[in-house]
Amino acid sequence: MGQALQGDGLTTKINVGPIHPSTHGVLRLVVELDGDEIVNVEPHIGFLHRGVEKLMETRNYMQDLPYVEKLDYVAPEAYSEAYISAVESALGVEVKERAQYLRVVLLELQRIASHLLWLGTFLNDLGHFFTVFMWAFADRDKILRLLQEHAGARMFYVNMRLGGLNRDVPPGFEEEVLSVLGDIEKRIPMYESYLEKNEIFMERTKGIGAISSHRAIELGVTGPVLRASGVNFDIRSSKSYYVYDKLNFKPQVVSSGDVFARYKVRMLEMKESIRLVREAIRHMPPGDAVGMPIRLIIPAPKNKEVRVYRETPRGELLIYMVAGQQGPYRVSFRSPSFINLAALPEIAKGAHYADLFAILGSLDLVIPDVDR
Amino acid sequence: MTTEFENAEKEMSRLVEASLKKYGLKPNVLFARLSDITKAASSGLITWSRKNSVWPSLFGLACCAMELMDFGSARIDAERGSYLLFRATPRQSDVMIVAGWVTKSIIPEIKRMYEQMMKPRYVVAYGECATSGGPWFESYNIIRGIDQVLPVDVYVAGCPPKPENLFAALLKLQKKIGGNIEG
Repeated sequence: MGQALQGDGLTTKINVGPIHPSTHGVLRLVVELDGDEIVNVEPHIGFLHRGVEKLMETRNYMQDLPYVEKLDYVAPEAYSEAYISAVESALGVEVKERAQYLRVVLLELQRIASHLLWLGTFLNDLGHFFTVFMWAFADRDKILRLLQEHAGARMFYVNMRLGGLNRDVPPGFEEEVLSVLGDIEKRIPMYESYLEKNEIFMERTKGIGAISSHRAIELGVTGPVLRASGVNFDIRSSKSYYVYDKLNFKPQVVSSGDVFARYKVRMLEMKESIRLVREAIRHMPPGDAVGMPIRLIIPAPKNKEVRVYRETPRGELLIYMVAGQQGPYRVSFRSPSFINLAALPEIAKGAHYADLFAILGSLDLVIPDVDR
Repeated sequence: MTTEFENAEKEMSRLVEASLKKYGLKPNVLFARLSDITKAASSGLITWSRKNSVWPSLFGLACCAMELMDFGSARIDAERGSYLLFRATPRQSDVMIVAGWVTKSIIPEIKRMYEQMMKPRYVVAYGECATSGGPWFESYNIIRGIDQVLPVDVYVAGCPPKPENLFAALLKLQKKIGGNIEG
């Protein structure tokens, strides 16, 4: 990397967005530049605000599921599961054992799909690695087909029910999952060798947008961005839910903290997810996984407060809910995308303008989750 | 109308010939005369070429943009149709695919983008939200469909519609440009 063109102290402001191919949705950034160096980035959010939390108060518990899924449309399964487990703990419903394993399978499949989508779009942002976009989407499509076989929809599944799922998996589902995972497991080393032997990719990612582990904790970044800075923190192990502790889940940590580390963490997480799905399928008990019918809802204890933490593909999600009679009295989300976006000005400071989109892409933001 | 055209044609031919004479050039087949252009227009050549270069702009708002990306990726591969080519700027594109809910704060930006597109321009409302507001129809910050702001040519139903549906919609748009469907 050459030296950035230094100006004479006079800064230029550049407007990026709100409609821009690399902002992954509708995000507006006002970038202040000194020469080619970023002095400050100011994100302007709210272009997709639609008042989800208020709308959810007017619906009943099960009607809210599609709203939650549309918060983070890259990993809808993770969000609907987090919401349904908040409702479960408010109403005091136990999850059936087979359903716990099946939920882990679905969640981890969703995580692989989400990381594959990230890989494709991130490399598209970096320059023109359109090949990887095609490869990653072909692989993601296989997983979406699996999820479609269970839920019946390609993107918004709404297959979580209180205490289980809406139906058990179709016969032969496990074998199909294993064969698809075998395919993807072969493809991951292909991505890695294609990218890590590519000088342009290494130049554009290594040492760009680095944050130290101390600073990462102070900024409060979550998920793969935090683990790329060498902090061993994953809700799946530190506040384990379902059967993650039985499956010997290990958080994937890389210490360098730059854009390359964030890429590496996601690749390692995909491998770990493949292992987890295999383990879960091996140990899955037979039995019933079907949850309660939609109409059968026990009235919740009055003003019961619930907090649920979940590790979504983008990081730690907190759902705070005050339970009402038929629906939530108040729901609030602490979404990982919002927290990671808040760290962008700090991470991007001092980088070249051309690297802004590498950094923005590496945070893996979903803007409707930020705006709500 | 036709006499005006003919007069203009004669005038243009005269001008072309005069300028050729001035520079000592001979009339050549390489010089297209206005009569050729009007003939081509009447024979549908322009309509045909418009129909076969429908370039959508890369513009996604929300969830439906994921399916829009899938539309361009390996399984469907929109560009193999050889008349679709995603462009990242509205100035080079013919079709705007509105994929996602339309908030009040994004309307000015969408309008500006639409005005930057060259005429003739088309709009596809992709998904429930762009068609009617979808699940957010009660929200205070959402307009119930993009057709309150822009003229829509094709609506696609679904939440989100499959990428195949978008292909069908664009084929329908192609027919519409060709004049086979009354708009």
